[in-house]
Amino acid sequence: MKRSKKAALVLMVPATTFLLAGCVEEPEQAMVYNSPSDCSAGGFNSTEACIADYETAQAMHPQVAPKYLSQAECEIDFGAEQCEKAPQQTTSGGSVFMPMMMGYMMGSMLNRSQGAGGQNFQQTSSGGKSNIPTQPLYKSRDDRGTFRTATNKSVAKGTGLVSVKPSQLKPQAGQLVRRGGFGQQAARRSSFGG
Amino acid sequence: MKRISINERANWRAYAEEVGFNFHSFDGEDYWDESAYYQFSLQQIEDDLEAPTEEIHQMVMDMIGDITRSEEMLTKLNIPRDYWSYVWNSWNKGEPHLYGRMDFVYNGTGPAKLLELNYDTPTSLFETGFFQWVWLEDQIKNGVLPAHADQFNSLHDKIEYAFSTLALPQPFYFSSVRNSVEDKGTVDYLMDIALQAGLDARYIALEDIGELKGQFFDEHDQSIFGLFKLYPWEFMLQEEFGKIVTSSNTQIIEPAWKMLISNKGILPLLWERYPNHPNLLAAHFETAKSEPLAAGWVRKPLFSREGANVDLITESGEPISANGPYADGNYIRQQFQALPKFRDEYRKQDTYAMIGSWVVGDSAAGICIREDQTLITKDSSRFLPHIILD
Repeated sequence: MKRSKKAALVLMVPATTFLLAGCVEEPEQAMVYNSPSDCSAGGFNSTEACIADYETAQAMHPQVAPKYLSQAECEIDFGAEQCEKAPQQTTSGGSVFMPMMMGYMMGSMLNRSQGAGGQNFQQTSSGGKSNIPTQPLYKSRDDRGTFRTATNKSVAKGTGLVSVKPSQLKPQAGQLVRRGGFGQQAARRSSFGG
Repeated sequence: MKRISINERANWRAYAEEVGFNFHSFDGEDYWDESAYYQFSLQQIEDDLEAPTEEIHQMVMDMIGDITRSEEMLTKLNIPRDYWSYVWNSWNKGEPHLYGRMDFVYNGTGPAKLLELNYDTPTSLFETGFFQWVWLEDQIKNGVLPAHADQFNSLHDKIEYAFSTLALPQPFYFSSVRNSVEDKGTVDYLMDIALQAGLDARYIALEDIGELKGQFFDEHDQSIFGLFKLYPWEFMLQEEFGKIVTSSNTQIIEPAWKMLISNKGILPLLWERYPNHPNLLAAHFETAKSEPLAAGWVRKPLFSREGANVDLITESGEPISANGPYADGNYIRQQFQALPKFRDEYRKQDTYAMIGSWVVGDSAAGICIREDQTLITKDSSRFLPHIILD
């Protein structure tokens, strides 16, 4: 047979369209772990998901971690030998420092199944999506027991399940994001496919 | 290859709207047209379309590395110099690609001739992968077409497989310009398949993408690590956030190296590398010294979509042109090969048919047929379903 075995829609059909979230922001559940092995030992997430989210957090880490112009300044906030050199440089070529990543938060829960050709796809009440972004976590010098986000929001006293409001966890909260830098030709042309 | 009239399904318009196919008509005319279908033999599909599609795809893929290292070719393709290393990197890192469509002239006999590669932002995906598939299932169920009728259309299966194996960053964002119903329809369909493949797929209007310190963010200021964009690379690079692409950690589909082969300039480069290949038409870059367009030749902008700004002169000397907004770049010349003419009994007029042949990853994945009253297939050209029946 030269055609697909199935051609199903789950999103485009209104009857199965997901309900939009209401106006009141409900806390959502997320997981906090020290490491991928800690995560898979917890049994809530598959080893693959533990590693994938750890890698996501690691990739974000140099981008979102707070930055310092000296190791000493960084250590004042994060403690001795708790800082590392960031990949970025100052415009004059100087080094930049950041705290080490001490753990990570996973927004995705058990319901996520990847790589199985969709066979294990499960619908949950939230549509299988988490509003909590997976991200690196840090610990400050004076509060070693608490995991904090890159923007210094404390999120957990230890590893495991936490309940947090997504709006508190925007990785770059409070900073000005520029928008509208793509799509400037949209006024001249009506569609862009071909 | 035959064009056969058939009764429309009674409820198809209502059904189309129910499944989100909101662009089934265009300026009051049907865009989806099931008053007829095209019938192919299995031999025509496999030998004349599927095999050449995969062969040309490999020919093109074999050229990309050379193009990324050639100042001369990058210049001819009008790739901005500031992005040469970014394009080179995207190829050398092996950034994965998802899909593309080749357009062919084919009349049922002899080699199909490649008109162009739509390898960056191909649309008519939903119509091909879903709507024409359902049409065949319905017409078989209704007893109108025989149960052993088939279709060259594994698009849905192959895209789902690609999404489940590409290991894309999650959440993975899908983007199109805010006001295009057709582009949104294509993106909705891709998201639908992605979701079925287990991806956390999210939509963001292209205009809502944010930037901070060289990284991209969604409308809730969450990082965008993976992005499908139904928007041409050549426009992105000209726009304010173009430079951000090179500093960001965002994996983009289609990847940047696709701008080398979605470019009409790939046609003369292909012809130079594979002269007289049976599936290619002669092609050259237009230069300041080029003669005025001669009979039997076509002139196309390097970057254009949907037949826009194409001029041609038929072998008998008749000039035909399509207007459009892409008249601001360089051009190529391609040997003219007339699309086959069929009789549309429903509209009592002649019609020309073009075949789009899909590629997912590196496999041929099905065909779609577009019809027009003129020799230039455009965005308004009707979409007709097809079957395989021997």
